[in-house]
Amino acid sequence: MLNGLGSLRTISIIGLFGVLGFSSAFASEPPASEEPGSVSVRMYQLEGSLPVDDPNSSQWDSVPGSEFNLAPQVHWPPRIQEVTVKSVKAKGVHNGQELAILVEYDDPTEDAGDAAALEFMVGDKPAHFAHGQEMLQVEGGPVNIWFWKKESGQAVDMSAKGFKTLETQPRQDVQGKGVWQNGTWKVVFSRLLKTEDEQDVQIEPGEWKSVAFAIWDGAIVDGLVKEKGGQKAVSTWWYIRAEPSADNSIFGWVILGLALAAAFELVIVRKLRKGQSV
Amino acid sequence: MKGPIISGAVILAGVFIFLKFLLPLFTAPLPASLIYLYLALALSGIMIYGTMSAPSLEAMMGPVYRFLSGQGQSGMGHMARLAVLVMFPLLVGWQTYSSLAPSDLPPAENRTIHPAPPGEFVGLSNPYPKTPENIMMGKGLYAAYCSPCHGANFDGKGTAAPGFNPPPADFTDPGTIAQLQEAYLFWRIKKGGVGLPVEGMPWKSAMPRWEEELPEEFIWKIIMGEYDGAHQSPRTWEEEE
Repeated sequence: MLNGLGSLRTISIIGLFGVLGFSSAFASEPPASEEPGSVSVRMYQLEGSLPVDDPNSSQWDSVPGSEFNLAPQVHWPPRIQEVTVKSVKAKGVHNGQELAILVEYDDPTEDAGDAAALEFMVGDKPAHFAHGQEMLQVEGGPVNIWFWKKESGQAVDMSAKGFKTLETQPRQDVQGKGVWQNGTWKVVFSRLLKTEDEQDVQIEPGEWKSVAFAIWDGAIVDGLVKEKGGQKAVSTWWYIRAEPSADNSIFGWVILGLALAAAFELVIVRKLRKGQSV
Repeated sequence: MKGPIISGAVILAGVFIFLKFLLPLFTAPLPASLIYLYLALALSGIMIYGTMSAPSLEAMMGPVYRFLSGQGQSGMGHMARLAVLVMFPLLVGWQTYSSLAPSDLPPAENRTIHPAPPGEFVGLSNPYPKTPENIMMGKGLYAAYCSPCHGANFDGKGTAAPGFNPPPADFTDPGTIAQLQEAYLFWRIKKGGVGLPVEGMPWKSAMPRWEEELPEEFIWKIIMGEYDGAHQSPRTWEEEE
């Protein structure tokens, strides 16, 4: 019996170290490097205020980003065969109340028509990435578009469910700030994680949402704006998530599991020893 | 005394090796869930056989009971018992963590690449003869409307291709149009990405709905041009019979 209890004491100590090991290994520290071949944007949780007005804030340096290729918009006319911006980098942060997404891309010239947009699915129904246009075999859902333009210097909160349905929402919840420097645009979009507008995407930490990107190079070429309206660089759907807070209650359940397993062993060993000694 | 346990382990290992490695030499590989099911059935059979009588029960479980009770053990036996007693709670703890920890990965996408077309497109055949003139016209239309994404060489490497997810289809790949009937291509070209059913979710296809811009004649001839340019042949009803 003493032998059995000694073993269980050892088990408990090792189990405790195991739990501590779990805790440290899975603490929500952001990884140090950018993700190659990104499929998602992770909005990391920060304490305090977010760099919503400063695309060059050093706070962004501590956050890893993602990069997504862009394609000319060829899905519907007016098409475009060649676009200036071939890829876009994105970083995200949130503080439990508010979120900020930094979009960064190369554009050799600063023009009034330069613009950037984020698109999100809204609600439970999936939507086609092209403005949530109508699917022929099944009903899709609407999209929420955050559109920033250099000319106005602001972001506009918009909605669409199909072509020619894009409209500015009556209630505006999105802010935007862009800075062009040395051939690079950095645009920060910010908003509350949750709003009271049913036309908006609602961000719940830990929940994956779908996001797409669009960029316009507003350079004037031969007297015409190079990219405007449907002529733009686009991505299809990728994923975005506000990273959840670490849930330490899990480790309580792990300790309970360890304790129950050890108790089960104790009962079995005792029973076997009694059975043999009888 | 250890005979039944070792025999049982050998039988289980044999069943696993047969299902996992030998069977796929003759037929399609079994899914892991089915292999586990067969292993569970084999284990059940071994347990039933081993517990049919008091002597067989003692032969099978006696060594296990003596090992766990620890009486009379020393040296390696003692260490092995200790290791088992330590590992079991750790395994339970790990399993608890694994089942409760939230997934860190984006949702898996189970997109069906070639979903079934609507009934109205099944069985259609190309109404235009495969003459050199029609094929040449199809290739010209392909160059104008399709090649920016699907590539001048029909290989999915058009100038716009790097930005698309999923990438444009590579028609030279035997796994694409060579597996499909012309009617299927007619549906996909005519209706585009918005024609996809639920199985095609998430709806990322940038394929235009060409019926709004091109007459059906152009679409049929583009199909001809695609097969000819990619050196592939359409799947036909005759091959399926």
